[in-house]
Amino acid sequence: MSVFPLPVALFLSALVSLPVAAADMPRPPAEASPKVLNVEIPVPETTLDPAAIQDLYSAQMASVIFEGLLGYDYLARPAKLVPLLADGMPEISDGGKQWLVHLRHGVRFAPDEALGNKPREVHASDVVFTLERLLDPEVHSPFSFLLEGKIVGLDAAARRAADQHAHFNYQAPVAGLQVIDDYTLRIQLNAPDVNFGHALAQPNLGIVAPEVVRHYGDQIGGHPVGTGPYRLVRWVRGSALSFEANPVYRKRLWNFDPGTDPEARRIASRMQGHAIPAVPRVEVRVIAEQQSALLAFRKGELDILYLQNKLAPVALDGRGALKPDLRKLGVQHEVTTEPEILFNYLNVEDPLVGGMAPERIALRRAILMAQDDEAFIRVIRKGQAVHLPYPVPAGVVGHDPAYRSLLEYDPAAANALLDAFGYRPGADGFRRTPQGQPFAVRYWRQSEGETREFEELYKRGLDQIHVHFEGHPVPFPDLLKAERACQVTTRLGAWIADYPDGDDFMQLFYGPNTHANNLACFQNAEWDAMYRKSVTLVPGPERDALYHRMARMLETLGVAKVSHTRLHHMLLQPKVVGFRKSMVSAVAEWPFVDLQ
Amino acid sequence: MNANPLANPAPQHPVPQHPAPQAAPARGLWQIAVRRLLRNRVGLASAAVVAAFLLLILTTASGLLARDWDQQYAVSFAPPTAIAGNPQDDDAVGQGGTGSQIDPRAPVDLYGVVDPLADVMARIHGLSAPQAAAVAPEPTSVSGVVDPIGDALARAKAVPKSAVTQQRAVSLTLGADKWGRSVALKVVKGAETSVLVGLAAAAVATLIGTLLGALAGYCGGWVDATLDWLYGVFTAIPYLLLVFAIAAVLQQKGVTTIVLILGLTGWTGVYRLIRAEYLKHKAREYVQAARAIGASHLRRMFVHILPNVSHVVLVQLSQQVVGFIKAEVILSFLGFGVPVDVVSWGSMLNETPNELILGKWWQLAAAAVMMAVLVTAFAMLTDALRDALDPRLK
Amino acid sequence: MNAYLLRRVLQMIPTLFGVVLLVFLLFNWVGGDPAYVLAGKFSNPRDIENIRHQLGVDQPLYVQLGIFLRQVITFDFGNSWATQEPVSHIFLSRLGPSLALMIPMLVLETLLGVVLALAVAHVRDSWIDRTLTLLTTSAMSISLLVYIIVGQYVFAFALGWFPVQGWSSTPQGWVHYAVLPILLGLAVSLAPAIRLYRTFVLDEIHQDYVRTARAKGVPEWRVMLVHVLRNASIPIITNVLASLPALLIGAFLLERFFSIPGIGREVILAVERSDFPVIKAVTVAVAVATMVFNLLADLAYKWVDPRVELS
Repeated sequence: MSVFPLPVALFLSALVSLPVAAADMPRPPAEASPKVLNVEIPVPETTLDPAAIQDLYSAQMASVIFEGLLGYDYLARPAKLVPLLADGMPEISDGGKQWLVHLRHGVRFAPDEALGNKPREVHASDVVFTLERLLDPEVHSPFSFLLEGKIVGLDAAARRAADQHAHFNYQAPVAGLQVIDDYTLRIQLNAPDVNFGHALAQPNLGIVAPEVVRHYGDQIGGHPVGTGPYRLVRWVRGSALSFEANPVYRKRLWNFDPGTDPEARRIASRMQGHAIPAVPRVEVRVIAEQQSALLAFRKGELDILYLQNKLAPVALDGRGALKPDLRKLGVQHEVTTEPEILFNYLNVEDPLVGGMAPERIALRRAILMAQDDEAFIRVIRKGQAVHLPYPVPAGVVGHDPAYRSLLEYDPAAANALLDAFGYRPGADGFRRTPQGQPFAVRYWRQSEGETREFEELYKRGLDQIHVHFEGHPVPFPDLLKAERACQVTTRLGAWIADYPDGDDFMQLFYGPNTHANNLACFQNAEWDAMYRKSVTLVPGPERDALYHRMARMLETLGVAKVSHTRLHHMLLQPKVVGFRKSMVSAVAEWPFVDLQ
Repeated sequence: MNANPLANPAPQHPVPQHPAPQAAPARGLWQIAVRRLLRNRVGLASAAVVAAFLLLILTTASGLLARDWDQQYAVSFAPPTAIAGNPQDDDAVGQGGTGSQIDPRAPVDLYGVVDPLADVMARIHGLSAPQAAAVAPEPTSVSGVVDPIGDALARAKAVPKSAVTQQRAVSLTLGADKWGRSVALKVVKGAETSVLVGLAAAAVATLIGTLLGALAGYCGGWVDATLDWLYGVFTAIPYLLLVFAIAAVLQQKGVTTIVLILGLTGWTGVYRLIRAEYLKHKAREYVQAARAIGASHLRRMFVHILPNVSHVVLVQLSQQVVGFIKAEVILSFLGFGVPVDVVSWGSMLNETPNELILGKWWQLAAAAVMMAVLVTAFAMLTDALRDALDPRLK
Repeated sequence: MNAYLLRRVLQMIPTLFGVVLLVFLLFNWVGGDPAYVLAGKFSNPRDIENIRHQLGVDQPLYVQLGIFLRQVITFDFGNSWATQEPVSHIFLSRLGPSLALMIPMLVLETLLGVVLALAVAHVRDSWIDRTLTLLTTSAMSISLLVYIIVGQYVFAFALGWFPVQGWSSTPQGWVHYAVLPILLGLAVSLAPAIRLYRTFVLDEIHQDYVRTARAKGVPEWRVMLVHVLRNASIPIITNVLASLPALLIGAFLLERFFSIPGIGREVILAVERSDFPVIKAVTVAVAVATMVFNLLADLAYKWVDPRVELS
């Protein structure tokens, strides 16, 4: 870089003074052995206790160590539930309230000192323990919602422990969890639940052994012992994790349902019958700075890279295809959309923008109409996102690709709307309330990370409608707290599917979820009634019609505007075969991948 | 020295003890200093550079220059004019967008939902035939919601988006950032913020350090013991955590906050030097003489002693400015930077890691070069000042 | 000597108490509430209460302060709230990478700094001296962030001389991964070191004993390397020892960009997660280290120059 003569001169002098021939340096030992899959995660993992996991990347790690009763077919789109530790899909009876689960015989936990260094077979009691543990107040699982209110008697047992600040009593029987024999379990639900199978497929419900949990106490998060295809052999916290194929893993062969998708069929024809896992060793590295990760991939230090949007233009051309230099190297490229929504919401309880008076609705709608989703996608996402006006993203049951928003970017109409309701500009050019008071809209975001440009764009939107903008970056914990307390005026919210069903997204606006997930604090009797009805419906046209009305109502009342879904670009080195981006982000693809 | 980028350059080290001017009248010292400074060519050149920057800052602060730095002048990442003309193919992603042109006013199915603003929106949409471009709305004579939008809509038809894009420049003197803002204007406006932050923070730090140092050195006893304890606590806590902690206390984000963070964490070096000076000076004859004629403690501290140690204060002040201008960059990286409606060199440099990898190096180059020039000049001016004020303090 | 040591150690107690008090007030009183982060999505007020109870942050402040003080005395800070990893383990495992980065950097910086400082002091006020002053001043004026961004791009990516990022605890891995960060850190810290050590050397060059030695016909290299260096090493050693503790978390930028699992990176992470046990432990540990190394610096001062009276 010719613009920096001085530092470069210094670098060079420093290099000369040190006779280190960098080019001859030995490769680190890990890269010397043949089949090693090198992957990265951008955020440090936290824990490998399935129940306690909250973040995506820890969940991915857990998904290769642990297995749940059910899982998702690796290739099937849309997502399809398949049995994993269960021997066949559960037998559902009693109008959907009774689930009879048969366990696969001969599945064993990997040997560990807590198990006397011997493998141990998984029994129905382990499943009961795992399910109960998710609601154990001392575990305070972030995913307790998966089972909350669902299994007969389980919530009462959890509440007893919480109220007395006592340990959860795993000995006391729970009416809804009935062990019939070592390989059979009957689960009794409080009410029919179409999504219960998805709950059982989450990595957070990977089956754990009670003795191991007891043995390691509060350090269980550092000692994962499961039945999955890999086991953890080395762990430098927050930096590197090494996995090796689990020696006692059951014989499992590649056998997935590619459907009609040609790409999936191609992968299937190549991989069907392969052993799982195919690669004996996986090295995971935490690389926080994304430019570091891309540089590392281009140097061949990584086999699979999640290409973040900011860096997409480096690797992709204007049409989203690989650039020639990478194509020449044989780099493979896979793109999917995330099962997620990003949406701007406005707090309906906010003293300034909240309320259901027509001028407040108009203000909120004008603010939302001033948000340029196209610029967001083009400038911030570098074109690597798709506009999504509907609260249910693609790939998730209930999605509608044809849905059109009432609140598309239209600053002229937004200005006219504000004019119409008496928000007149004052001497400084900024609008006043209809009562003539100056006001500013406070945009919240977390101060860490790269949300600064979200704020820049939001401000550009408000500038166009002459509404005074006030940026308010706060530390993440403070943001969450303020959100739960309904103190956040407006923010770009994000939600990634926990399970691939529209309900996971619609609950974001359900009145009783205020102070929890309903960040807009939207409470509307008509809307809530529609939501309650939707929960009882099997996915289908009737539920879709309801969802459409619910989505439209969020717009007419100026509660939220769904903006976009990111494209998920994976770059793969030429030697990687069998890769297909997992439908459920929390499930890692590594066990199904091979290296040539 | 150490690699702590937040550490101030000087205060960490034991500064060689030096004899203070032998009770020389302060004026004489300054006269000699000015004469020495004028003989120092490097010092004068540095002073000229610094003065040029200050002039630049005056023009931006008064709004003569770079007032509209936040405007979009060019396409996203427009290159500098000098290298324009060989468009790089990767620009395509930045410009291409989604390709979907959505008409925001096409009728949509309400699915039976009652739109409370249906009437108003219908009128807005009904008048949507393209008319003259309009910018700022003026107050309209509207009462309630009755036929409110006739005027508004006459102005409200925005220029079609594509037309706007075409008007934007494809290259700028120093290129453009991701929002198409001029890097030249940003770097000039950023100079204002960075220098003002540096000056203000140095003023705060030096003020606190001098005040506490004077108190401790002059009063001695329990005052000295207490302040020394405070000094010990502040220097024992890791600088980075002190920054986080003070940022947490201040809550608000803004330029004032940055000044306070830097000022409240940076006073310790000044404190130690000034305290040592006061310890020496309070026993000097001229102070004793002042006491004999009945000068009060405050008067002795600030009227008699202060002018005799003011050269130390001045050198410290300018060293702090240099350190704080650099520290602002790191604060930006940690998320305590300036708000989005303000630009600083720190906020610019923090946009650059992702730009560099896209091959967009101009913002990095502009900010880094401007900063290097100013900081180098300022540091050399500081050296010259120090040499002039006290040649022993090499 | 023993009395002096005892007095210095006793003096640390009020300072440490001040540190504890300040950290406690700043982070417990105004810091974020970790329960909201730990509770995750779908959390309701009851979940949050439950977590607050388990963390003990619902107790009165004085009780929490008491617990904190007990932790400081026993040096047992419990487990990280975010990961449940024992804080002692976090500290020990992150210390290695930080030191593996910083100690070579400090050694190289001191050696090169001293040699270059002696050299320029020898030719003081010549054009070489002035050029180097200009060079060091300019080098110091560029932000560390720029060094890292450009250095990583040019040397690791464009030229491919080094890996872009990563870490390994084996000696081989150290050679592989640590060299570029160390060089970049050195590029930043060498300039100020040269400038500082130059002033130390110049201070000595004007002393009478140097003149005497020269008058006695001692060769110039011997004057510089033996007489001057010996005396200038006092402030140099003091400086090196005093800057050691700050180095521990001072390299957070390098650690973050090069994915090095050191303490600096851990601290930033802990602050982002409101992981108070980690924050408190690191603060207290660095504070203690700072005080101990200041004491060591004074002792070293005495050791190099026996004329110094410890008072």
